[in-house]
This record gives sequence, structure tokens and C-alpha cells, in this order.
Amino acid sequence: MITLEKLTKIFGTRPAVESLDLTVPKGEIFGLLGHNGAGKSTTIGMLLGQVWPTSGSVLVCGHDVTRNRHDALRKVGAIFETPIFYDYLSGRRNLEILATYTAPTSAQRIREVAEWVGLGGREDSKVRTYSHGMRARLALAQALLPGPELLILDEPTNGLDPEGIHEMRETIRRLHRNLGLTILLSSHLLSEVEQLCSRIAVIHGGRKVFDGTLAETRASAPKLLLDVDRFAEAAALLLTEGWITGSDPTGHVLLAPGRNVSGIVRRLVEAGFNVEGAQREPQTLEDFYLSVVKSARLGQGTPSAPPPVAASIRPS
Amino acid sequence: MLLLQLRNELWKLFGKKRTYIGFTMFLLAQAVILLVFRFSRASADMGRLLENNGYDMTQFLSPLTAATFTNFWLAIILLPLFGALVGGDLVAKEAEDGTLRLILARPISRVRLLALKWAAGSIFSMLLCLMLGVSGLLLGLTCFDWGGLFYFFPGESFAVFEPRDGLVRFAGAHVFMSMAAISVMGLSFFFGCFNVKPAAATILALSIVFLSFIMMNIPWFNDLKPWFLTYHLNLWQQLYGEPIQWGRIGESLFLLLGMNATFFAGGVAVFSVRDIKS
Repeated sequence: MITLEKLTKIFGTRPAVESLDLTVPKGEIFGLLGHNGAGKSTTIGMLLGQVWPTSGSVLVCGHDVTRNRHDALRKVGAIFETPIFYDYLSGRRNLEILATYTAPTSAQRIREVAEWVGLGGREDSKVRTYSHGMRARLALAQALLPGPELLILDEPTNGLDPEGIHEMRETIRRLHRNLGLTILLSSHLLSEVEQLCSRIAVIHGGRKVFDGTLAETRASAPKLLLDVDRFAEAAALLLTEGWITGSDPTGHVLLAPGRNVSGIVRRLVEAGFNVEGAQREPQTLEDFYLSVVKSARLGQGTPSAPPPVAASIRPS
Repeated sequence: MLLLQLRNELWKLFGKKRTYIGFTMFLLAQAVILLVFRFSRASADMGRLLENNGYDMTQFLSPLTAATFTNFWLAIILLPLFGALVGGDLVAKEAEDGTLRLILARPISRVRLLALKWAAGSIFSMLLCLMLGVSGLLLGLTCFDWGGLFYFFPGESFAVFEPRDGLVRFAGAHVFMSMAAISVMGLSFFFGCFNVKPAAATILALSIVFLSFIMMNIPWFNDLKPWFLTYHLNLWQQLYGEPIQWGRIGESLFLLLGMNATFFAGGVAVFSVRDIKS
């Protein structure tokens, strides 16, 4: 559904996106992760033909956005971080206006979509009277009006209260489940991405530093909670001998690739430590994200290959 | 589809309160000028001028004369102001508010979007001139009886026209006035296509118009007049000449059309390569 090849954008002398390769398969909820200024919004801008790439290509729905914007965006809906509309017009009029930039849309369709997103009854009020949550619904409605196959959501839960965030999350799930939409979700809210996406890419400093499934992020560097006397000494021994790649004072260690729990326990017992317990803990997306970003900062990041050390776990 | 999209642009333009500032201010200004004209020595002085030249002042102190009198300076000073205000808003305000990003997430080309906006701005400019003419006449009718048109510009023009001829010239002048309003709107629209605030686009356009106006009125630059924008913006004044200088009107019209095409093409060129960001 989306294919980016060697996509680069340089503003003046500052590269905002550098040689980005990315593929979003049809039917996926794909998370685009990165801190503020990482290059997510610039990437989305280039996806929508709003920002001109310095080099590289952008294919959306099989069409090159820079050459054939019309066909590329015909079945695309987008929501941006701040739902801004013509405040002095009604919700319905806003929908009519925005829909006509894609194709003539019937009043019936507008009514249906407004009802679907939960605007029913308020679509004739001026947008300036809407709450942030209502604006988010209106944003969703305008994105759904063209009957999209691809939905691009740029920080869609920004500014929403917990109830609104929950509602948006459920709506995204519903859209994916019922309409089979491909969704590109750009966010720095890791919990959002973790709950919704099946695949993610992490962007840091305009470069992709990870691209893979959520399952890969969990399995990449298993965390182990060790209940052992003289933990610091035990961790130092394991690190020296290459059993682990890091530890933290709360008793967590990160298994080195190819090492297992039973081997660690056996080695500690042999070394005279009293091991009370050893329990595997799945790595959270936050652990993973922070470790990837930290590695990228240190210049160790390699796309599609998760680095071994979690930022929350210091090398002993 | 094109008409629906144009309708959208008009909804956006006429849904905003600030769009009506121009209409309201023109009405107020016309009313104030007319009242002062009617109830000061000005109308008596004008009557005396007519009678000294052998005309019956009761025939020519009319709504047509009053409307021409009130609209003359409004068209020179206020019309560019409101044209520039709307032209500057068309693109730059949407970019500033963030709604431009929402539009450009849709499969509409930038050229088409600009063409729609320019067309909406032009319709606004024409309506503004139409209103200026109609309201001027209606207000004039409240103070004077129907009659011919007297046009006087010290040192340049003294002309009287029968009611029918006067009305045609008055209507024609307002049609050409629309061209002037569209040109100022187009200039401001051009600046609005750059990455600037709407106010900056408006001020830039007005600065050019006012600079041109100032230079045109410096006596030493008399022979350079045809090089100034305002000289051509004032083409509507030619409709009150006797005889009408159609050659001069054609020349100005041709130049203004060329300028408008240039403003639009320049705006498209600038806007097409621009990155639209939040």
C-alpha cells in the first residue's frame, strides 16, 4: 500500500529524512515511531504530496505521489495532530467542503459517516462550539468520506482525554476490523502503538533504525528477573562471561543472544551464588524503543536488526 | 465538480465575518460622505459651479452625481485595501490556520486549488464593486431627485451627461473598477502564495499600490505615469471622459490582464514548489 524508496528530504542544509526505505503492506496497522522532530511528520507530508522529496520515491496505492498525486490519494484519508477546521462553518459544511476536493459526495453519505463517528445531532452546529473530542470525530469523518483504503493518522490522540484516547483506539480497531483499512499510525505514544499495531518502524534523526513486527521487538532481547544474593557481583560475572548484555539495580538482566535461563542459573550456582528464582519478562515496547534510539544515538543502530541493550538496563 | 469546488471556496469566503468588513465599511463611508456633501456647503458649491457653466443644478445634483462623488475616493483608497485584504487571506490564511494541509491531503492539484481561490477572490471583488455602485445610487436617492450625472475633477475633467447616458457610464465605470479590484486582489494573492502571514501579503500589496499612487502624483513624474500600476487601476475614470478614450482603456485593460496572468502564474510557480508543513 505504501512503498518508500531511498526517500530523502533536506530543509536547507538540515536533513529531515535520510534515505528512508519503508513498506506498509495492505491490511496492516503500521506504527511509525519516533520522538518529536524525528522526521515522522515530514515523511507523512511526503506521502501526501505536501512536502517535496529531495530524492527517492513515494508510492501510495501503487502510484507515485510526486507524479500522479490524484490517483495516489484518491483512496486515502488523513488526520493530523491538531484537528483544525473552518470554525465559522458547521460540521456538515466542513465535511461537504473537504469531501468535494476528492469527489462529489452525497448528503446521505455525509450523514452516514457523521453518524458512524458519533457526530450525529451536532453536525449542524458551528465547529467553534465543538469540544476537542468532537473535532477529533469530525477529523475522522472527513478522512472516511472518500471511502479510503488507506488511513494516515498523524498523532490522532494528541490532546484527547483518556476517554477520548480509548474511543479513538477502539475506532481505529473497528475501522481495521470492519472495513479492512490499511492504517499508518504515526505516534510517539508507545502504549498506543503497542496496543494497535502489528508492525512498526522507528525513525530517529530522519533515519529508520528499526523495521519489524511487534513480536520481534518483544523477543529481541528477553529480560530476566534474577532473585540472587549479591546481585551486583552475579551480574558482573555474567556480563564478563558473555551470558548477559546488561543489568539494572532492580534485578533485571538482558540475555545475550543464544543464551538461555537454565544456563545462567547453572553458572551462577556453580559460582557459589544462591539463586532463589529466575523469571523471564517480555520486553516492553518502551524498553525496546529506548534501546533502539539509544543505540542510534551512539551510532550502533542498524535498520531491521534490534540492538541488544535496553536503555533502562545499564551495562554493568 | 469544478463548480462545486468553486461553491466551496465561496462558502469559505462568505462564511467569514471579516469578509463583510469591506461591505460594511463602504456603506458607512458612503453614508458619511453623502451626508456631509448634502448638508454642508459642498453641494451648494457644486450647484453654483454647474450654474456658472450654464447648467441647471437641479438637473445634475442627482443620485448619479452623488454616487460618483462618494465612490471616487473610496475606489482609489478603500477598494485596494479590501481587495488586498481578501487576496492576502485566500492562501496565506489557510496556510496559517492549518486548513491548507487538510485540503492538500486530498487529490486536488495545487494549480486547480489556486485557480478556484483566485476565481472566488475575483467574484468577491466584482460583488464589492457592484455593491459600491448600487448602494451609492440607493443612498443618493434618499438625498436627491433622479437626474443627470455631473463629473468634475479639478484641472482634468468637467462633464455632464443626460440621466440615461450617465447611468450607462456609471455602470461601465463600476465594471472596470472590478478589474482594478481584481488586480489588487491578485497582487495580494500572489504574495499570499509565499510562506508569509496573511497580513504580510496584504501589506506588501498595499505598499506597492500606495507607492505607485504616490509616485504617480508627484508632478515631476508626470511623463512616467503610464509606467505606474495605479495609472492603469484608474482606468474606470475614463468612462467619465468626453469623449471616452477607448484606446487608453484598452491599453490599461490589456496591461491589467497581463499583470493578473503574471500574478497568478507567479503564485502558482511559488506555491507549487512550496512544502506545506504544520
